[in-house]
Amino acid sequence: MDDLKQREGQELPAYSFVVERGKIKEFVQAVGDPNPVYVDREYAAREGYADVIAPPTFGICIDLWGGADFLKLCETFGLNPFKVLHGEQEYEYYGEIHPGDEITARPRLARVLSKEGKSGGIRMITLETTYFNQRGEKVLLARCLIVERR
Amino acid sequence: MAERVRFEDVNVGDEIPRLVKEAVTEVQLVKYAGASGDFNPLHTVDATARLAGFDGVIAHGMLVMGFVAQALTAWLPNRCLKKLKARFTAVTKPGDVITVTGRITAKKPEENLIVGEIQAADQRGEVKIKGSFEAVLPGRKEG
Repeated sequence: MDDLKQREGQELPAYSFVVERGKIKEFVQAVGDPNPVYVDREYAAREGYADVIAPPTFGICIDLWGGADFLKLCETFGLNPFKVLHGEQEYEYYGEIHPGDEITARPRLARVLSKEGKSGGIRMITLETTYFNQRGEKVLLARCLIVERR
Repeated sequence: MAERVRFEDVNVGDEIPRLVKEAVTEVQLVKYAGASGDFNPLHTVDATARLAGFDGVIAHGMLVMGFVAQALTAWLPNRCLKKLKARFTAVTKPGDVITVTGRITAKKPEENLIVGEIQAADQRGEVKIKGSFEAVLPGRKEG
């Protein structure tokens, strides 16, 4: 059996990230999303939020700046980074993320599936990461499907 | 901001307001690399992208998912959004003009929940993301 398959269900090292106001602004500017709820505190307050909020795909920022380095991940899993594709990404939202929040991400190797096809095999790896704020409240869950062509 | 969308006002088959983005640029990919922390050179260095078999840099899939999220949260307050899922079906390149479209596929009145499908496609109609979402909307009597 595949080595990685045997690690299915395993928890991976947690990492954390302090959300900065400027990081949210930089992120939405790169996307080109003009929604003021990400940058204008007064607007966010009128919308009923305690402060500006992080956008729906901000989890990637927590991952990559918080310590889940892509190449390190490939090394951990024995994946060839040139043969890896991001197949799917899924988010579930449980609460808002604001500037100043210290988010702790707890990733888990949720699923490993191997398939043989005509042009060789593929391996599908699902990472499931749960994100908690400094009060221990679950705010976000992410599922990331990585596809490795072999 | 637009009028609040209410659960009762949304019907299965309704389209969500479409979002047409400006063409993706190389500078945008550099900005997104820095913002997201994804420095895979496939997205910023032409020579690396060519080694990987592309004619030049390709966009981060997560950038295009950001466009999908933008379309949804331009329509619904962020707090309404409960789930967003994207399957990456094709690569996006600088110059591509992405349009996000979606429609409601189901309603669950007991939770005021709506379910929808959403996609991002380029100027040739090539689909880059096939996705789905779930949102809980306020009812007419609330908020």
